[in-house]
Amino acid sequence: MRSSLLLCVTLAVSLGIIHVAGYPVDLKDEEYVLVNNKCQCVTVTSKFVPSKENPDEEVLTRNIRIIVPLKARENISDPLSPPRTTFVYRMSELCKNCESVELDLGGAIVQAQQGNSCEEPQTCYTYDRNQCYTSPVPLLHHGEVTHVQAALTPDSCFAE
Amino acid sequence: MENKEVPGTERSLEWNARKMTLLALVLLLALLPAEAVRSRHPPKASISSPVFGPRQVHGVVGGSVTVRCFYPPTPMNKHDRKYFCKMLGSICDTVVTTSFVKPQYQGKVSLTDHPDAESFQVNISALVPDDAGTFQCGIGVNGRGLSHQVILSVAEAPPVPEPAELFYVKLRSTWTVSCSFGPETSNWRRYLCKKEKDGCRNIADSHQNIDQDFTGRVLLTFEGSPGSFSVTMTQMDWGDTGLYYCGAGEYGKDGKSKELDVFVHEDKNFPQLKTMVIGKNGSSATFECLYEPLQRSSSRIWCKWRPQGCEKIIDNAGYVSPKYLGRVAMFENQANKTLTIMLNQLRPKDQGYYWCMSNELKEQQSSTELKVVEGEPSLKVENTVQAQVGSKVELTCFYPCKYYSFDKYWCKWNETGCSKVPAGEQRPAGPEATCSTSNRTMVLSFDPVTEQDEGWYWCGVKRNGIFGESVAVELQVTTGSDAKHSPELLDIDSSSESGAVPPGGAYNDAEVRKGAAPESSDESHGSNTLALVLGPLAGLILIAVTAFAIFKYRQLKRSDLVSVGSYRTNISMSDFESARDYSASNNGYSVRDSLESPAGGDEFITTSGTAESAIDAKKVKRVRGGRRGATDPGDVATAPQSLPGGLPPSTVLFIPRDPPFSWLSPGVGI
Repeated sequence: MRSSLLLCVTLAVSLGIIHVAGYPVDLKDEEYVLVNNKCQCVTVTSKFVPSKENPDEEVLTRNIRIIVPLKARENISDPLSPPRTTFVYRMSELCKNCESVELDLGGAIVQAQQGNSCEEPQTCYTYDRNQCYTSPVPLLHHGEVTHVQAALTPDSCFAE
Repeated sequence: MENKEVPGTERSLEWNARKMTLLALVLLLALLPAEAVRSRHPPKASISSPVFGPRQVHGVVGGSVTVRCFYPPTPMNKHDRKYFCKMLGSICDTVVTTSFVKPQYQGKVSLTDHPDAESFQVNISALVPDDAGTFQCGIGVNGRGLSHQVILSVAEAPPVPEPAELFYVKLRSTWTVSCSFGPETSNWRRYLCKKEKDGCRNIADSHQNIDQDFTGRVLLTFEGSPGSFSVTMTQMDWGDTGLYYCGAGEYGKDGKSKELDVFVHEDKNFPQLKTMVIGKNGSSATFECLYEPLQRSSSRIWCKWRPQGCEKIIDNAGYVSPKYLGRVAMFENQANKTLTIMLNQLRPKDQGYYWCMSNELKEQQSSTELKVVEGEPSLKVENTVQAQVGSKVELTCFYPCKYYSFDKYWCKWNETGCSKVPAGEQRPAGPEATCSTSNRTMVLSFDPVTEQDEGWYWCGVKRNGIFGESVAVELQVTTGSDAKHSPELLDIDSSSESGAVPPGGAYNDAEVRKGAAPESSDESHGSNTLALVLGPLAGLILIAVTAFAIFKYRQLKRSDLVSVGSYRTNISMSDFESARDYSASNNGYSVRDSLESPAGGDEFITTSGTAESAIDAKKVKRVRGGRRGATDPGDVATAPQSLPGGLPPSTVLFIPRDPPFSWLSPGVGI
């Protein structure tokens, strides 16, 4: 009898541990980043907050931050394109994970990626600070027209 | 009662076993989700401003302060505008930048950029109380978020609190900090703790207490000079950002401490090393360490992490730990700037954390976890091969189809590495040959074999310069005169766990013993279930013992009637008559005398002392195969076991007068 009681107590304690182990205790107030898209300037973070209806319960909230570049062009690599007036943000596209990960499948190392349509590049609305954007510009030099790559974001185009 | 108990215990045993397995499953499930949550999404800190600086700066009136701000050394950041501005309401008013100084701060404030040091510095001199306030140091345009907030306070007079030491650490890299507190603290407890909401959480201390979450990740070592120590933490993650204290004594109470402000930022150029390596039992595992060819003279040590320090296994000076002879080798790859260490003949006790350390290049240290799983190596080879000098020996390595297209090699192991040995060329497969039809062996032959050929040989596979699996063979060469000794060698080999040379056998035993100690600490989980099993088991044993005792007690009572007629003695009835007359009147002393006189023997224990001991003596003598409880000496009919002197043996029936005589069954007793 005593031994069964001991086991019951241990079972109860271990179930309690599961509940706690599911969430890392020290990071309970942490906000996690789901999306950090430099191309469309969107960040989505999620966090647990006490629910408005029932302060004892915790609810998962998603904070979506979008900065709309109103003076952008339709094609950011072409300064002669018309200004963009339509901005479309799709959660499925933003949450797509196109990073490839190395996996070990039975000794063979393969590259795997979570997203499906990762071949088509995303249409960008603004510039990534750490990337260099150039556009070919026709230059008349000695009577010849040559196309030269001109920097659209000179600050990002330093070599080293 | 005993009858009911036996089937009941069986049922409870079965139920206990079921509960045990259920508990084990439940506990297993508990561990799984915790790992998944942590690695899925980075925290918000990863996208917040990567600019870092001091939180608080204290200055004295008339004195000066220096504010050092760190930033990620991307080409963009290196060339961008750096600024230092004062918060006025919601606007940050520029004080100084890389190319501008506000007129009223002319000659008082200066900003210098150190792109190679990943930081820029702001000096403010001739402090006045008005200078105090909230400032921001940053990159780019004011107020765009790429900045860090600094609070400057100006005190009337010293002393001012010691500023915290700032550490700008790359993600996944190693953080090292040196703390010294003077030789008087050399006997004190040294510690590193992380500041949390409630107090300071101890991470590591000199008493070998390492926090569970930091197992294998942090090492506390003592430096040369007394009172100073250093702490190394590997695989720095986003969550490691925060305030730390290194100190001597106890944090918050007496003792000395130093404040450390650590900030983790991402550097995309920093190489991503594997944090965990999984190897199969008997197979091999490769570990990568960073290697800067420019600093070729630097020391490289590969060691196994232990709470009390890192146990050296191999280094680039040619040292190999005796326990790992023939098992571990270092390979340099200058092109990739990596150092590869291969450990084969894996055993479950090899599981743990392994560190690449360097005395000079502290930032390039790293750690990897090794997990050994069940399985068999894919390459098959004999563990040990013995051969006579001058004979022909062939070491054969069998490989599976998955290694068909890999480069296969044989190499001879020595302390400085494993040098390739040209093996017999495999027959080139024709166009029709497929993997299953071809001869999947790689043979290394010695014809004839000499004493110098003795040692370990590794059979391994490689692809695109990346090391794959490897297995090891030990070749033992015996000369003709040593033939007698070879059986001994064989015995030692079979008794030790791996095919090591006899001197290595002793080390293997030591390794087993040493391995047992950390294993027992690792198996705290296992001991929990062990305690749970032992608990009910002990209870069962207790119940069984009490049941047995009760059973015996009952038998005792019942056996009164049974065992009376089963005693044999060598006394005659005549002696019996005389003894009885005497016993009624006196305390038995005279009885003894009377019996003794004809015998004159010394089988009686002469007792000089208490009556109690006399009773004991009588007790001893009285019984053959039985024992009496404490009784009145007057009531006892005594008879010695044997009387020398040639009395005729006879069967005597003892009929106890009073029930208090309780006889135990013949089996139990004197």
